Amino acid sequence: MAQATSRRDALRAGVLLAPAYLWLTVAVFLPLSAMLFFSFLSAAPFTSANWHVTGLNYAEFLTRSIYPDLLGRSLLLAAIVTLACVLIGYPCAYVLARQVKGRAREALFLLIILPFWSNSLVRIFSWAIVLRGNGIIDHTLGALLPFVSVNLMFSYTAVVIGLVHSYLPYVILTSYLALQAIDESILEAARSLGAPFRTILFRLLLPLSLQGLAAGAVLIFVPVAGSFMEPRILGGKHGIFYGTLIEDQFVATFNWPLGAALSFILLAVVLVILAAASPILKRAR
Amino acid sequence: MNRINRRVLLGAMSAAVLAGSAGLAMAAGEIRVLNWQGYGTDEAFATEAFEKKTGVKVVHDYFTSEQEMLTKLRTNPGAYDVVLINSAFTGQAKAEGLIAKIDTSDMPNVKDLAPSMGQNPDLVPGGDVYGVAWTWGATALAVNKDKVTPLPTSLALLWDPQYAGKVSIRDDGVEAIQFAALALGQDMNDIKDLEAVKAKLKALMPQIKTFWSSENDWNQFFSAGDFTVSTFWSGGAGRSITKGLPVAFVVPQEGAVGWLDSLAIPATSKNQDAARAFINWMIDPEFYVQWAAKGAPSSANAKANAALPDSDFNKQAFADPAVVARVHFMKPLSDETRKAYTELWQDVKTAQ
Amino acid sequence: MSQPRGISRVLGRGYVGLVLFFLYAPILVMALMSFNASEFYAFPLSFTLDWYRRLWGNAGIVASAWRSLWIAVATTAIATVLGTAAALALFRYEFRGKRLLQALLFPPIAIPWLIIGTAMLIFFFWVGIGRGTPAVILGHVALALPYVIVVVAARLQTFDPQLEEAARSLGAGQWVVTRDVTLPWIASGVVAGALFAFAVSFDQFVVSYFLAQPGDATLPVVIYTAIRKGFTPEINAISTIIIAVSMAVMLAASRFFKFGGER
Repeated sequence: MAQATSRRDALRAGVLLAPAYLWLTVAVFLPLSAMLFFSFLSAAPFTSANWHVTGLNYAEFLTRSIYPDLLGRSLLLAAIVTLACVLIGYPCAYVLARQVKGRAREALFLLIILPFWSNSLVRIFSWAIVLRGNGIIDHTLGALLPFVSVNLMFSYTAVVIGLVHSYLPYVILTSYLALQAIDESILEAARSLGAPFRTILFRLLLPLSLQGLAAGAVLIFVPVAGSFMEPRILGGKHGIFYGTLIEDQFVATFNWPLGAALSFILLAVVLVILAAASPILKRAR
Repeated sequence: MNRINRRVLLGAMSAAVLAGSAGLAMAAGEIRVLNWQGYGTDEAFATEAFEKKTGVKVVHDYFTSEQEMLTKLRTNPGAYDVVLINSAFTGQAKAEGLIAKIDTSDMPNVKDLAPSMGQNPDLVPGGDVYGVAWTWGATALAVNKDKVTPLPTSLALLWDPQYAGKVSIRDDGVEAIQFAALALGQDMNDIKDLEAVKAKLKALMPQIKTFWSSENDWNQFFSAGDFTVSTFWSGGAGRSITKGLPVAFVVPQEGAVGWLDSLAIPATSKNQDAARAFINWMIDPEFYVQWAAKGAPSSANAKANAALPDSDFNKQAFADPAVVARVHFMKPLSDETRKAYTELWQDVKTAQ
Repeated sequence: MSQPRGISRVLGRGYVGLVLFFLYAPILVMALMSFNASEFYAFPLSFTLDWYRRLWGNAGIVASAWRSLWIAVATTAIATVLGTAAALALFRYEFRGKRLLQALLFPPIAIPWLIIGTAMLIFFFWVGIGRGTPAVILGHVALALPYVIVVVAARLQTFDPQLEEAARSLGAGQWVVTRDVTLPWIASGVVAGALFAFAVSFDQFVVSYFLAQPGDATLPVVIYTAIRKGFTPEINAISTIIIAVSMAVMLAASRFFKFGGER
């Protein structure tokens, strides 16, 4: 491209980008920079008379094994939840994009996100009512199969169910947006050449919709890694994760510097994982 | 160097706040109260009566943990006129210059405070009042009285294998450690053998069904039968009984964790006269008797407690002076101790 | 149409039905409990309309719901416009630092909201923005923006830039190209982004909690602070009303507008 147009492009790009990124800078990046600064202090500047710059908060991550252990536990949870969302959500997006037509599709599209206009805490407590012993699942199953009692509450499974529920719409909608854009004539051509569905799925559908699927997966993996509300209420005594440790520093002890350091370590690890995954996604295209 | 920097920083910060909070400037006839939600000061009947009497409107802001209360005081100078502070945190708030000395000479109800509460050294350091004792209570055992007979007398109940998987405690490191210390016969405000406490808590883990962290959790989990034996706040137990749950509240022989809540006035309050009038109203027997009917903790005002009907939950629970004597009031903790306790609790929870 | 595809269609619809059932399970329970007399959400159910009656007299909770609603609408409008513009720029142009700008979308999602809320409280206090509704909207839009950008960008990935080129070669200006070619193609992505932005704002607790003026609580703040003393099914009642009304509005809208990406 010629030099002149690229300068004009840069200007146009700047005009389109500036409002969003200026907004993010004032409301998120600068506040987080303050937190980043705190994470290198010995104490929060509000409370203690003597604070100095130190790297000890980051060193503490390595000296107490509970931090890396629970970070691993949280990343595993995020991976499980993301995988479950993809396996459940992608086929649903496929049906929505390729099999449903007309107004019904519009309506379904809206229905999928509507549950998330309700309060998340109310949803979590509703899940508790469904999952607990003597709860709805237990009653229903008990009516069909007497002598069978199910109590999923306060378990790892309950945490996964609650989180999958909270994040499923992301992967359904982003996959849908990508799948729906695929030209039907390509698929028809493949079918008329006798390609089995498996081939169409792995050679055409998945590669062509991978960007959408990946966007949804990222929007799930990233926040789940730092979640603490669903784990604590649905997981009971099994609901101890990395997010809980961060929360403790802000709620139980007044140790923002450590809490901030733990958060930024989480952010760094998540970014490294995403960076490592991106070439795989590129190659798959 | 650091000290000076900090001064400059704080100075710049307060200048910024003065500029920024111009929009917040409030009517003289309004006080702002910072408290837990649904904790007495925001009872509609009370604020309406106060407004009728004084013409001063009461506006509320809430916190969900003591640390957050301190943060809100630090970052919102001038925004609040009355704040609820647990006596274990009064010293820290005073040391940071967040709260003002209270002149109680025009607060007639203060003289009726029980001396052990009103003159609590954490609230009245060196004779200066930094918090007016308001309510107190104990965190002790609350059990399902239909399923636990006879009623227990000992904290050992939490460790009783008969109730394995039916036990709950609050997800709070400091409180968990204090209960384990009491069960071991240690002084909960001066724990000598922290290793023994840790071992005791580890032994408790298999008993536990879940932790609770709010009254909402407690009531829902209890009424669904998730646990039958738990720690609970006296005020909360009173409310649960009023609402018809089969709860019995027991202060065990080893003792219980006591807390004393006070009302304080932020140093930056611009409406301290109205704040004092409001606090005086909050310890008034007339207010307290109405509040207690809806489920309140014990009042620090001896006259207010005396005015309660004999059927009142707190009056019954703490009728026996020997029971009251078993309540150990929480002392302030240093940051280091708090950190050590939190880490111990995290270790115990993670290791199970 | 051949027989196997007919079967797969039935299977497909059944599967979507199952997923919808999973998504709505807790919503149904929430609605059910708003008609249950037990304050502790306990069984057995015994029908009552008391919670709706009490909600009617609870001016505070209703006012907080209205406040949440208009903050969410404002947030959605701002975040959708700014986010779509940014996603377009990231898609159309190559420039240095683009990867960095993309990576910068993740901190607001990855850092737990409790920390972001605290950071905003301190920073806004430092620079004098203070607390109040403008501060709340500032925070909400910032948290919603990354979702809008990522979702719209996902849709743009499927867009063929040659379409823009072709329109331009026919003499259309940049704005006309965007309005007549690009935006119609990505409309479904923009709608999805807006729906997420609304959900983020309407359910946002921490930012509203730290930044709203005392007395100006939003609905999530009322709900989260109520947890200390205990919810009452009034909260279920208002949530049920909100969902029911939104559903009616949305289904009506889906009859009149096309955004599902029909080709």
